[in-house]
Amino acid sequence: MIREFTFIDFLYLLAATRWTLALTAVAFAGGGLVGLTVALLRVSALAPMRWLAGLYVLVVQGTPLLVWLFVFFFGLSIFGIAVSPWIAAAASFSIYAGAFLGEIWRGCLQAIPRTQWEAGGSLGLSFVQQLRYIIVPQALRLAIPPTVGFLVQLIKNTSLAAVIGFIELTREGQLTTASTFRPFTVYLTVAAIYFALCFPLTQWSRRLERRLHVAR
Amino acid sequence: MSLVELNDVVKRYGQHTVLNGVSLSVDKGEIIAIIGRSGSGKSTLLRCVNGLEPIQGGSVTVDGTVVNDPGTDLRKLRQHVGIVFQSFNLFPHLSVEKNITLAPKVVKHVPSGEARRLAENVLRKVGLAEKIDAYPDQLSGGQQQRVAIARSLAMQPDLMLFDEITSALDPELVGEVLKVLEEVAREGMTMMLVTHEIGFARKVASRVVFMHEGRIWEQGPAAATLGSPRTPELETFLSAVLH
Ligand SMILES: Nc1ncnc2c1ncn2[C@@H]1O[C@H](COP(=O)(O)OP(=O)(O)O)[C@@H](O)[C@H]1O
Ligand SMILES: [Mg+2]
Repeated sequence: MIREFTFIDFLYLLAATRWTLALTAVAFAGGGLVGLTVALLRVSALAPMRWLAGLYVLVVQGTPLLVWLFVFFFGLSIFGIAVSPWIAAAASFSIYAGAFLGEIWRGCLQAIPRTQWEAGGSLGLSFVQQLRYIIVPQALRLAIPPTVGFLVQLIKNTSLAAVIGFIELTREGQLTTASTFRPFTVYLTVAAIYFALCFPLTQWSRRLERRLHVAR
Repeated sequence: MSLVELNDVVKRYGQHTVLNGVSLSVDKGEIIAIIGRSGSGKSTLLRCVNGLEPIQGGSVTVDGTVVNDPGTDLRKLRQHVGIVFQSFNLFPHLSVEKNITLAPKVVKHVPSGEARRLAENVLRKVGLAEKIDAYPDQLSGGQQQRVAIARSLAMQPDLMLFDEITSALDPELVGEVLKVLEEVAREGMTMMLVTHEIGFARKVASRVVFMHEGRIWEQGPAAATLGSPRTPELETFLSAVLH
């Protein structure tokens, strides 16, 4: 039964946007934890830890996110483990975001001159104390713009979860198209909603970046 | 017993031998000026004393603690050995007060109020009491270096290492830093300082150590060693730095 694209459909799209945001939030939180671990291991003094974290980043960055979604959603069911689209998406996106955030944050930690570590170490601070009081506070300022930039990528990339039936903005758009047969209108609306989410963040990230350059 | 004891210290970076059998002992209260050409190993020598650089041979002992022993708690050692760097290395995100009080608070657990007074005290010593709430980027190079000295003093070290602390400064700012250094020396601090200020070394140091090609080439009482060098290398060096 084909019907018109109405205001109700628009509201449905907005409702699905909540799930886009929810998945982004979960991925950002999970990825943040993984990323923090990766970044800290990458600057630690223990070579095997550095190596392990490096391997993780290499593998994740060298494989498509879509494949991870398939692995979790379809792959695990082979072993009789039923995975909901939610869990599969949350896990895949956390793994993915963890690798990228880890790299971003490692870069920020390493951008702090070695002499800052030395000054802290020479005053008797431990590795963790140097990180906490000297390195991280300085790296944080550097990290905010690229982190916000990545968040924008993440919001857009959650659309990939549509392929495993996770109903977020893009998937809702597909469903609406199927019943209204108005792909142009529907997908333009979907695009507009994504833009409305991402644009303010992009602007914010730019402003932060500018301010950082001025402060130098 | 000497406060610092270097025994046949060998330091290599890969194949490159930077310290080639350095032996030196420093008594409490001595002020050792280390001079020598760029690349002769002066900074490396200092950095071995507080364990910033691992060594490949010999031993370094500070106040009875073997620095190069893997079992040594370097953090404990470094509470007693201050170091001031050529490039100041203040913490740019912290105020002068926080720069100074960070280590006393975090490492020695000095309570906040007491730490503030400690900061005021050491800042008065370096003549910067009024800058306690400033940030490093609001200070001149000379002032930053004086804060770095104050930060080190706040840990009440038994030994202080200074690595060319006036070399990054504009000429007109060198004097104020040397004055502070002299003041610290007068209070009886044991000091090892790498410097190109030969006049200052002659005036303040009890002993001069001339490094050349990773060895202690010549050493002795400041006035005698600088006044009548025994080796042609020191003579050449002195005539080069004194023009
Ligand atoms: N981290 C390092 N890696 C490799 N070589 C180094 C390093 N630090 C210093 N060197 C080398 O060691 C030698 C001595 O350096 P240094 O102690 O800094 O000399 P100085 O302070 O007398 O100028 C130089 O040849 C320098 O290139
Ligand atoms: Mg040097």
